[in-house]
Amino acid sequence: MHKATHKVLDVIPLSEHTFVLEIERAGVEFKAGQCMNIGVPKTGINREYSSYSGESEPTLKFLIREVGGGQVTPRLRQLRPGDEVELDGAYGDFVIPSVGKQSFTFIASGTGIAPFHSFVKSIPDLEYRIIHGVRSGREDYDRSDYKDYVCCSSRDELGDYSGRVTDYISDDTVDFSSKFYLCGNRNMICEVYDKLRQHGVGGDQIITETFF
Amino acid sequence: MKNHPLKVAFSYPPIVNDKGQKAMVSQNRNVQYFKVPTYLLPVTYAQAATWIRDLGHEVYWDDANSQLKDLDTWRRDLIREAPDVVILESTTPVMHFYWDMVKSLKVDLPNSVVIMTGYHSMRMPEETLEHCPADVVLRSNHVDFVLARLIPFIAGHPDWRSSCDVEGLVIRLESGDLRSTGEFKQVEPLEKSPLVDRDLVQWRRYAYENGNFLQTPGTYATSVVRDCMFGKCTFCRYNGPDLTFSLLPVEKSLDEYEHLIKVHGVKEIFDDSGVWYRGKEAKEFAQGIIDRGLHKMGCYFGFNTRFSYLDEETIKLLAKANFRFILIGLEAADDETLARLNKGYQLQNVETCLRWMKQYGLHPHLTIMVGYYWQTKAQLDATVAYVRRLMFKGLARTLQVTLCTPLDYTPYHKECIEKGVLLTDDYNDFDMSKLIVKTPIGHDHYYQAVKQLYGIAFHPKFIWRQILFLLTFRKRDWQFLFTYGFRAIRRVRNHVFNLTQNQGKGESYSDKPVKA
Repeated sequence: MHKATHKVLDVIPLSEHTFVLEIERAGVEFKAGQCMNIGVPKTGINREYSSYSGESEPTLKFLIREVGGGQVTPRLRQLRPGDEVELDGAYGDFVIPSVGKQSFTFIASGTGIAPFHSFVKSIPDLEYRIIHGVRSGREDYDRSDYKDYVCCSSRDELGDYSGRVTDYISDDTVDFSSKFYLCGNRNMICEVYDKLRQHGVGGDQIITETFF
Repeated sequence: MKNHPLKVAFSYPPIVNDKGQKAMVSQNRNVQYFKVPTYLLPVTYAQAATWIRDLGHEVYWDDANSQLKDLDTWRRDLIREAPDVVILESTTPVMHFYWDMVKSLKVDLPNSVVIMTGYHSMRMPEETLEHCPADVVLRSNHVDFVLARLIPFIAGHPDWRSSCDVEGLVIRLESGDLRSTGEFKQVEPLEKSPLVDRDLVQWRRYAYENGNFLQTPGTYATSVVRDCMFGKCTFCRYNGPDLTFSLLPVEKSLDEYEHLIKVHGVKEIFDDSGVWYRGKEAKEFAQGIIDRGLHKMGCYFGFNTRFSYLDEETIKLLAKANFRFILIGLEAADDETLARLNKGYQLQNVETCLRWMKQYGLHPHLTIMVGYYWQTKAQLDATVAYVRRLMFKGLARTLQVTLCTPLDYTPYHKECIEKGVLLTDDYNDFDMSKLIVKTPIGHDHYYQAVKQLYGIAFHPKFIWRQILFLLTFRKRDWQFLFTYGFRAIRRVRNHVFNLTQNQGKGESYSDKPVKA
């Protein structure tokens, strides 16, 4: 059993709405991509967040987008070093069971890139391409951590590609024989899933994690 | 196979055990045997039936339990109907029954395609096809989405067994070999599946015999969440890499509620989604009920949720919108068990949530399990003491206790197999009437705990608390004591009998502690 509350080490703003919450690890074991429940003590509520940090990093990090009118994320954003959060987990099957010679295509929207960051930080020889759908090209958080990263910005021209992720996917840009991991909002996942199926990708090749 | 509309039967045969009890689906679609009937509308199958009818096929809604048919009558009627396709839903404790039944059904209806669905067979499709002559096993719990593709394909393709490309099936070929069409993943928008056609599924047959309805007629809404947005609890069927979750738009669900109240006169609506809306959607839904004036039409609303999901503001709004019955899985009252079950919250948050619900007049219903393979006497006693305290303080209004039974190859089931704690591999023993795992203490301790927990309903402190609730002058609190209370006595007795019938039979296999 790990301890129930963890000290906040930092709250790092990345954009107007997005931040990284860094907390002490305190012995928590997890597999890259798994999620944990985080809540502010005495509020009585929590939410699930995918790991953003690597399996062997000394701290736990979570990439979080503040939800306007939300019940948890505004409180998390207001935390300061030394405050505490409640943490449960880790759990979930959105993990890479084994690598081998398999290549991967990771497709994310917004903070759905978190588990892929965790993958990349945990598995050094991973063969992958990340396709990241964001509104603005300024939301290409920590892009230098990835060796093959494409930012698709839907509302400006600051990304590597101007347009939605689904528009980016084509024979020229995606290896359809790879294993696909999709993470983010359900509309993106539904649309990408359909597009992949149209390109002959089997359901067995697609793993999904829906972020509402 | 004919290239024209098919007649499709959604069949639930009556299953009666040697005590004369009927197999009923219950929470989380578990099968338990009950003398006192409970008829639950299988919502996803009802959506599938509606969808298939909408596609131009004929649907024969064939739930022998709610239609009060005995086995012979059910069988005779089904044979007379001679459907082209028979769809069955099964789960671990009734697999043997279904395998035998399919064998005989295929003798009487050799041309009918038998499709087996359900959480057990979807995870062990080859087993079912080996043990019975079913034609297809669905590897998905999203039966509506799969059947809406499969049935038209069968209708239009005489060679469907070899040519069908609908994912998520294991098909028996003419040669007898099995053919898998790959893993099914539900990532389609849930709103593609239609709202349940109430008349098609004879909704009134399910509207009265359900212990969770304070007012009748009650009904189950078309679920707003398919699978579970949390989806990590180890004992739950809504867990696994093959499951994801999808959400029905708030407005569409509100439309259904309005229709149910105004057209069908429904007085209580329960959404049996694994976990109902939370956050923004929960508030939008409650506000939508109020904006449409549905909160003033004498209908209560209810749903399943999790601790740590709803904040005070949302609970207050739900109460204003006339929500009443809130089913929450407590499972146990020690943090070790909660962590091992991946419940995702800590015990300290339970009381906070219940206090808000009590304050605003909701009726929380706790579900508790006993008999986890690691559960010590101290943990068991702590659970009993904790639940008693909650009930005596009026923080929860009703409860339901079950013997934790590994089922349908959930992670908990697999864990029990891996750790060698399962005491039987006969699926008939998985009927939740007895503990089937090795435990650190004798099984009688758990059966005694069941009695203690259900005994709370008869304790003077609990009854006094219900009387005090009358001072709130809320209609629901008066109904709870004078309507529900009398009805509950019959059900509580039945539950205690079912869950403790093996007490005192002296299982020697539970003497030794099990290391996790």
